[in-house]
Amino acid sequence: MTDVLEVALRVALVLGVFLVLPLLVGQTEHKAMAHMQSRLGPMYAGGFHGWAQLVADGVKFAQKEDIVPTAADRVVFKLAPAVALIPYLIALVAIPLGPGVVAQDLDVGVFFVLAVMAVGVLGPLMGGWASANKFSLLGALRTAAQLMAYELPFILAAASVAMAAGTLSLVGIVEAWEPWWLIWQLPAAVVFFVAGLAELQRPPFDMPVADSEIIFGAFTEYTGLRFALFLLAEYAGIVVLCALTTVLFLGGWHGPYDDVLGWLWTLLKTMVLAFVVIWLRVSYPRLREDQLQRLAWQGLVPIALLQLALTGVVVVART
Amino acid sequence: MKIPGAGLAKGLTVTMRTMTKRSVTQQYPEVKPELPPRSRGVIALLEENCTVCMLCARECPDWCIYIDSHKETIPAPPGGRERQRNVLDRFDIDFSLCMYCGICIEVCPFDALFWSPEFEYSELDIRDLTHGKDRLGEWMATVPAPPAHDGHGVRPKEVDAALKALDKPARERPARKPAPGPESEDAG
Amino acid sequence: MTVVEVMFALLGVIAVGSAILVVTTQHLVHAALWLVVTLGSVAGCYLLLSAEFVAWVQVLIYIGAVVVLLLFGLMLTRAPIGQSDDLDSPLGQRIAAAVTAASAGAVLVASVVTSFRGERIDLSDDRVAGSTGDVGAAVFRSWVLPFEVLSLLLLAALIGAIVLSRRDVSAGPAGARMGVVDEFGEIAEADGVVR
Repeated sequence: MTDVLEVALRVALVLGVFLVLPLLVGQTEHKAMAHMQSRLGPMYAGGFHGWAQLVADGVKFAQKEDIVPTAADRVVFKLAPAVALIPYLIALVAIPLGPGVVAQDLDVGVFFVLAVMAVGVLGPLMGGWASANKFSLLGALRTAAQLMAYELPFILAAASVAMAAGTLSLVGIVEAWEPWWLIWQLPAAVVFFVAGLAELQRPPFDMPVADSEIIFGAFTEYTGLRFALFLLAEYAGIVVLCALTTVLFLGGWHGPYDDVLGWLWTLLKTMVLAFVVIWLRVSYPRLREDQLQRLAWQGLVPIALLQLALTGVVVVART
Repeated sequence: MKIPGAGLAKGLTVTMRTMTKRSVTQQYPEVKPELPPRSRGVIALLEENCTVCMLCARECPDWCIYIDSHKETIPAPPGGRERQRNVLDRFDIDFSLCMYCGICIEVCPFDALFWSPEFEYSELDIRDLTHGKDRLGEWMATVPAPPAHDGHGVRPKEVDAALKALDKPARERPARKPAPGPESEDAG
Repeated sequence: MTVVEVMFALLGVIAVGSAILVVTTQHLVHAALWLVVTLGSVAGCYLLLSAEFVAWVQVLIYIGAVVVLLLFGLMLTRAPIGQSDDLDSPLGQRIAAAVTAASAGAVLVASVVTSFRGERIDLSDDRVAGSTGDVGAAVFRSWVLPFEVLSLLLLAALIGAIVLSRRDVSAGPAGARMGVVDEFGEIAEADGVVR
């Protein structure tokens, strides 16, 4: 009985994190982006500095009519938002929050999270094709091209830190982490974060949803709750990416008093990274498609390979 | 030598610096704006000063001033003769056409038109934007007092004349000291 | 039958069923999506056999990369929404394909059954049999030669792809186009075929 209770508790915790953190990131984006552009952002909803803006947005989305285009492939069209969103929920299961605070410690945690995230990207592809809209199709095409380019450096960078720690378990990696890895694994961390941004299609890598060119890419035809799910998937993706970067490269729960405050350190580092994601979005213009591909193949892949070689050399030299 | 990534860092610092500064957003309905003293919000009419000379209506670039009047005969005072004067029937400004150039105010020879800084008179129906003379007259209460005369400027001729009159022995009726009108800053 | 066996059988049925749908459906993109289901349930089978590492690599590589590549190709060639009636091959070919598939399946089943008939994986053991460490040790100790041969094969494929996609190779000395084509070659090539 206690087992069932414990599982239920863990699932509830993950679900809570999954529902709260993306909204928190979304609200931070509203406000931080506004202030970076010398605006105030939402100020009305909820009274105090528009804290309830996203709740209001959710209510609005729920009220909207759920439209499926006549020519669309109905089943695939309706399934796509779920395919985009649920993998991020599952990915959170393996990410440790503090010492012992993890929903499920997996032997192959890194691969589990990466694999599950890779499934999530099928959502925009399905939605883009099923919408029967040329802009959606273009968006999906660009998504696919971007994914193929950035998946490789993403995994190579993660593999580097797994090699350094000698384990694929996320908990094991955090336990093996030492502060000097910040320097040693810096190139991998940068590659991982940048490639992750590109996978999430966040600006400056938002070519697949470039609203000034192709309306909203794969999400053009979506309205109401399904559109909200896609948006939620984007923010959940930010949370997962930042949490993963924290766990892999920034030492997860390591910090002063980490036996008590470990979970706080993880959350804090995650939120700082999420802020960096927003900061990058505001600061840089969108990359062109050929620049995107060049950055991946001529920049990130070689750096990731070099980092892998460096990690190998250091690991062998130390043992 | 150009450090690689310097441009990227520059972009980040610009956004970060902007974030730490106060934003320029005006919280308008909650916080009223602090307008400059001579803001052009709406045109006010001082009906008593108007002689129906029609200069404003003729000078208006987009013809948004409508004036109707009739003549009235003033009965002759004892020992005098009858005189006629113009009585204003209608003085409308259509603010949906007005472009706030202020020419009507400039040309008015009798100081019957003034700028008021009030700007909250939007309407749901465009026809309600035509303000009649009563409504234009109500705006007079919001016209700010004219700025004080510049102490270093040339003294207005009227003041000189008045002082000269004061200097003379009061043989005739006492000189009236004229109040400086709203346009008196032009004199300085 | 234990729960694990029931789930294994269920996943197997799903895998086979969706695999049949992959080849019989007349929607091109649906075929790719059914392939996702097939590969996913195969990964589930691996998981039940406690081969975690292989399972997640299966998801990562096949669903995350291969299917994305497939979908990319399909979209580039303007896969129509709805049925493509010209997808059906003639009856003779279908029979031949079915026979080939059945015989290949039979050979695989026979070989697996004859070689691993009596073997049991002890799942009660704490140490997972198909853990990353075991797979790594197996690949880099006993099976290192096949592994190296495979990497050589992949390298050859990589070089071949580059040679095929670079248009300036046969056109004499590398010209100014080099920088434009090289990393973009695949896409430019595919574009050329479509239009």
